[in-house]
Amino acid sequence: MVCVVHYMTHSGDGMMNAFENLRLEMRRGCLVLAVLASLRSEQYGYTLRKTLNDQAMEIDEGTLYPLLRRLESQGLLVSQWREEEKRNKRFYRLSPEGKKVLKQLLTEWDGMSSSLNEILKEQHHGAC
Amino acid sequence: MELVDRYLQAVKFWLPKAQSEDIIAELSEDIRSQIEEKEGELGRQLNDTEVARILKQVGPPVFVANRFLPQRYLIGPVLFPIYKFVLKIATLGYLIPWVLVWIGLMTFSESYRAEHYSGSLFRAIGSLWSSLWFAAFISVGVVTIVFAVLERTQALAGPLQNWDPHKLPPVRDPNRIPRSSSITEFIVGVLFLIWWVDTFSSQTVLRFTAIQITLAPVWRYFFWGFLFLSVVNVALAAANLFHPQWSRLRAGVRLASDCAGSVLFCWLLKSNFLASITAPSVEASKTLAITNAINWWDTKMFPAAIVICVVIAASDVYRIIRIKETETRFTPGVAAAVL
Repeated sequence: MVCVVHYMTHSGDGMMNAFENLRLEMRRGCLVLAVLASLRSEQYGYTLRKTLNDQAMEIDEGTLYPLLRRLESQGLLVSQWREEEKRNKRFYRLSPEGKKVLKQLLTEWDGMSSSLNEILKEQHHGAC
Repeated sequence: MELVDRYLQAVKFWLPKAQSEDIIAELSEDIRSQIEEKEGELGRQLNDTEVARILKQVGPPVFVANRFLPQRYLIGPVLFPIYKFVLKIATLGYLIPWVLVWIGLMTFSESYRAEHYSGSLFRAIGSLWSSLWFAAFISVGVVTIVFAVLERTQALAGPLQNWDPHKLPPVRDPNRIPRSSSITEFIVGVLFLIWWVDTFSSQTVLRFTAIQITLAPVWRYFFWGFLFLSVVNVALAAANLFHPQWSRLRAGVRLASDCAGSVLFCWLLKSNFLASITAPSVEASKTLAITNAINWWDTKMFPAAIVICVVIAASDVYRIIRIKETETRFTPGVAAAVL
């Protein structure tokens, strides 16, 4: 009995870990798209993070700022240090190249999304 | 805000100099915005504990700094499986035999045991480690350095990309006996039998042009024992030639034959089978010394022989287990039960 309870609780932990890992993996790809889409209008790091958090796309500083730097080094973003409310802030926005890439990514996203919906619909009918 | 400055300084320590100012300015702005927002909510300044709570949420300095650094590794994901494989080979081919010889020496060599074992097992293991660590360090270190250089120079990128499916090795069946090895085993076995019978069948005294070697009477047991085992092995090689797939029966015969051969060989080393050597041009005292030296070295080789025999027997047992597993896997009833 003890063994059964032990197995059930531990296999539950394993499943939760697997779910958490898969969730993070899935979110990682989506975050790039969310950041690029949010930067169609100019924002600085903190407000961008707040915008994303308000949209349930939580992202911490340690993830956002390296991502912004990477996207900038790839030429998809441009940034500028500017003083606002007596403090220096770095503002980001999409570069012309970034706009093109975002458009392509959104097309890709729509394609993937409709394919996935089709697959899920088939599975649902199959299950019924 | 002293706590924030200390935090930023700790993060800065781990950042590359060229970008550190820029990264710290941005991170500082974010943290101060968080503090300001919280202060706006509470309508007062945050105390140290509350600031510390925000910093804890941001993360440990080294982790935060690490996110800004490019991903770095000594041996990358492409080379890592090859590196792991080579390390395994180095361990199996060098370190494990080393340990086995050490166990053999500790078990069977009184002089070695007297020198390295002083009543405590921990000390004995310590002595093994003291003699093993250098070998381990060299083998693992050399392999790691070679792979780190290959990673850095990308020397294997070309050959790994230009692969040809036709050059892949054929599908391996561990229970299949290569015909070439059966033929070799058969020919060598027959030649050995002819030589063995011709040389030792009726005598324990061997005469060469100027040297006479006399074997001890116990040699007769070895003669008949090795003769019998050779006949069995030649018959087994012939059977394997026509049925090149190991069966449990033939694998069992091989195990029995190897075990019997091992016992005979280890006994031979301990038996002082060489009675005397006579040569007209060499003094009797010298030939006696040579005879004793050969017998002494045979006895000294005993621990190594035991280790080798155990390895051979273990590989024979493993073969039988493998055959059994294969048979179980492909038995339709069992497969259906599993499914």
